[in-house]
Amino acid sequence: MEVELIEIRDFLATTHPFDVLPAEEWDQLAKDVEIRYARKGTELITPGQPAEFLYIVRTGAVETRDPEGEILARLSEGEVCGVRALIRGEALNRSLTIEDSLLYQIPAKRFDTLRKSYKQIDFFFAPMVGGRLSEAKGAVVGEQELNLLSIRLEEMLTREAVTIGPEATVQGAAKRMKESRVSCVLVTEGTALVGIFTDRDLRNRVVAEGVAFDTPLREVMTADPIRLDATSYAFDAMLTMSRHNIRHLPVVRGKDIAGCITTTNLIRTQTKSPVYLVGDIHKRSDAEGLKEVLSHIPELVHQMAESGATAHNIGHIVSTLTDAATVRLIQIAEERLGPPPIPYVWAAAGSQGRHEQTAQSDQDNCLILHDSYVDAQHGEYFARLAKIVCDGLDTCGYVYCPGEMMAMTGQWRQPLKTWKKYFSKWIEEPEPKALMLSSIFFDLRFIHGEEALFDELQDLVLEKCLKNRIFLAYMAGNALTHQPPVGFFRNLVLIRGGDHNRTLDMKHTGVVPIIDLARVYALSVGVKAVNTHERLMLAMDRKAISQDGAMDLRDALEFISLTRLRHQARKIRLGEKADNYLEPEALSSFERSHLKDAFGVVKTMQASMGNTYQAGRF
Amino acid sequence: MSTEKPAEEPVADSLREDDWEAIEETRLRTGVVDKAFDKYVHTMEPLWRHVFGIDLRRWWLGMRSPHGPLKDYYRKDYATLDLPWNRVEFLAIDLEATGLDPDHDEILSIGYVPVIKGRVKLAEAGYHLVRPRRPVPEETAVIHGILDGHLENAPSLREVLPHVLKAMTGRVPIAHHARLERFFLSRACRQLYGNPLDVPFVDTMVLERKAFSRSNREIKQGDLRLGRIRERYGLPRYRAHDALVDAIGTAELMLAQASAMEGGKKAVRMGDLLS
Repeated sequence: MEVELIEIRDFLATTHPFDVLPAEEWDQLAKDVEIRYARKGTELITPGQPAEFLYIVRTGAVETRDPEGEILARLSEGEVCGVRALIRGEALNRSLTIEDSLLYQIPAKRFDTLRKSYKQIDFFFAPMVGGRLSEAKGAVVGEQELNLLSIRLEEMLTREAVTIGPEATVQGAAKRMKESRVSCVLVTEGTALVGIFTDRDLRNRVVAEGVAFDTPLREVMTADPIRLDATSYAFDAMLTMSRHNIRHLPVVRGKDIAGCITTTNLIRTQTKSPVYLVGDIHKRSDAEGLKEVLSHIPELVHQMAESGATAHNIGHIVSTLTDAATVRLIQIAEERLGPPPIPYVWAAAGSQGRHEQTAQSDQDNCLILHDSYVDAQHGEYFARLAKIVCDGLDTCGYVYCPGEMMAMTGQWRQPLKTWKKYFSKWIEEPEPKALMLSSIFFDLRFIHGEEALFDELQDLVLEKCLKNRIFLAYMAGNALTHQPPVGFFRNLVLIRGGDHNRTLDMKHTGVVPIIDLARVYALSVGVKAVNTHERLMLAMDRKAISQDGAMDLRDALEFISLTRLRHQARKIRLGEKADNYLEPEALSSFERSHLKDAFGVVKTMQASMGNTYQAGRF
Repeated sequence: MSTEKPAEEPVADSLREDDWEAIEETRLRTGVVDKAFDKYVHTMEPLWRHVFGIDLRRWWLGMRSPHGPLKDYYRKDYATLDLPWNRVEFLAIDLEATGLDPDHDEILSIGYVPVIKGRVKLAEAGYHLVRPRRPVPEETAVIHGILDGHLENAPSLREVLPHVLKAMTGRVPIAHHARLERFFLSRACRQLYGNPLDVPFVDTMVLERKAFSRSNREIKQGDLRLGRIRERYGLPRYRAHDALVDAIGTAELMLAQASAMEGGKKAVRMGDLLS
């Protein structure tokens, strides 16, 4: 008796993440489903109770709330409930049906085996584990492997396979390998693949065994080797190779040989070394030359992203290149203008300041001059220096800041005492609009010059912030102006109309809210760091933010940034201008789902900051 | 409501399940028992059924049945009427046949799935194709999509029925428009084991009619069809006329109906579900 549960199987087959399972597994899983009907208001998961089932909402809706009653999630058709409780073994949160619902329940044990047997399933649920976006870099590290899931072997084949007949001698084969500079040959009879002979075989089966070099290959090759079809995914190749402990995998199209994949193919990362680029920057003597070096940034970012670098690392590397270019331009200016008459500091603000540049963006910078500054005497020198550097940066692709927050603007080229006045005013007499504009100056980082000047300013700023709760409340209010684009039902809220219809703004509604939150946490406990990642970690150490909150935000930032980076890389690949407007359709459902989680985290943390500072009152 | 003319569906050989369901629906809606339907009721329900209680009848049929599946079936007691519904084991059943006359038409497929503690247990679902003795008439093949070709290697009813009886043992059967299932299964038992299958069914169509009259709503044409009722309970749309899909659909509907009845204050007992 072959029982086919058509409707249930078909539903699973179109429901993420179960859609990635092989077809046989859908049939099997359908049989393990129990169907339950729960009226509105039925408690599915009770805090403190052992978790027995994974629930898939077939029709209706389910809501999960934390013990304080805050809504954590609203799930509708096709969404899954109970994962965290299952993995923890015991529920912390409460899940209720909020409509009459038909639920498919999968027993805990079955869910476990599913996770163990299918990596894709595990990836999908990894971010839900432990109640945070990722305990789990799973989401992020896993992306790399997910990538392998989307590349087919045929796309990876770069050259024709090197082949040889079975009657050729061992030495002949070795010569062939040497000439073609490959580590294996495929042994063929006609067009059919009959064997493979590798470097390792040469060592283990020929040299070590003292086999004569004129032995026919047929006797020492691996006959009938494991092979994969060209339409298989890179992921399959990786699994096959690790399962059989082999390093070479013939690829076939039907019966014909298509090529050979090696472990090197799989792990090859062609990252253009940033170290090399920095070295190159220092060899250049004008802005044009620098521009040439920096033009590699998009490609570099793309490759780093592809090879699994974190957005945090990428931001660091790109900003370092910008720093190097800035320093080089300052050196060029000093060579032209002569040594500076008084000590000064060139500082970067905004994304460069935070070490978070991922592409060439607007420049934000300023000059802090020694208090011995006399306008009539030194003014021209620094005006010219600033002009040379800012113009140079503009030439390199760091266009002028539309808000003129640059050293070439007189207002931002001032002696230390004036800077102290600026900050004192911002902090002691906060004014929302001015704050919005000046907030990038709270992300100031020393780039070049007399570091003591910079430290003096920074110490003052941090000290004043610490004492000034009203200022922090303003900053908090400021931090809540950009809301993550996720709605009540956890759906993505898209921009409507205009040039960016139906997209997500990954900058203003993506990374900016997290940056703003981290700034407030950091300033509230006197953290010097300006990098968002570091701010979160240090603020956590000083108890400005809970450990869970900090980790969640860090992971959310990482995920949102990477998604944004990938989007920009994709645009560049298509020959378009990189922007921040992402069409959700361009994402896999994996990514969309993670993105929702990430935005959800930001939303939660914003709400909690709103409470802490009663932001609404100001 | 009663001004509506009783449907005069012919009892021809070409009677399709949809027509049959329509007759039954009309009867339930209007309270008018049309003649075509009467014919079946009287041939299928002998007088003694109305004289002796069900327990006595089942005991007696169990005694009378020859050793085998039907006797085993009758030996096992089943739940009492005062048990809360979710402590009773049910078996939702649906079948497709060559036509609608249990005396002449034959079962082509049977699908069933148990409902235990208020959960539909798909792991124990069953589906059997049954090889009929005569070719499948074209007009019913159109409905259920079962063609002779599918049935060539199918087992006979004699081989299938024991599985069905085993699944039914100790469980209260559920069907949508249960008469069809009841009559066909009973007829099959009589043919194979010499005794009828005597068991009350939970009929989701009847439950729905009651729900309508409780809330004083008017029943319109088609309101009592499985698909339409499921839609009203917000249940997913399934393809119709596959015995297993319909059995699962019926099981889910019963859960929804019982849950809705629980919405009222008192606990729903098995007796409340049986007509």
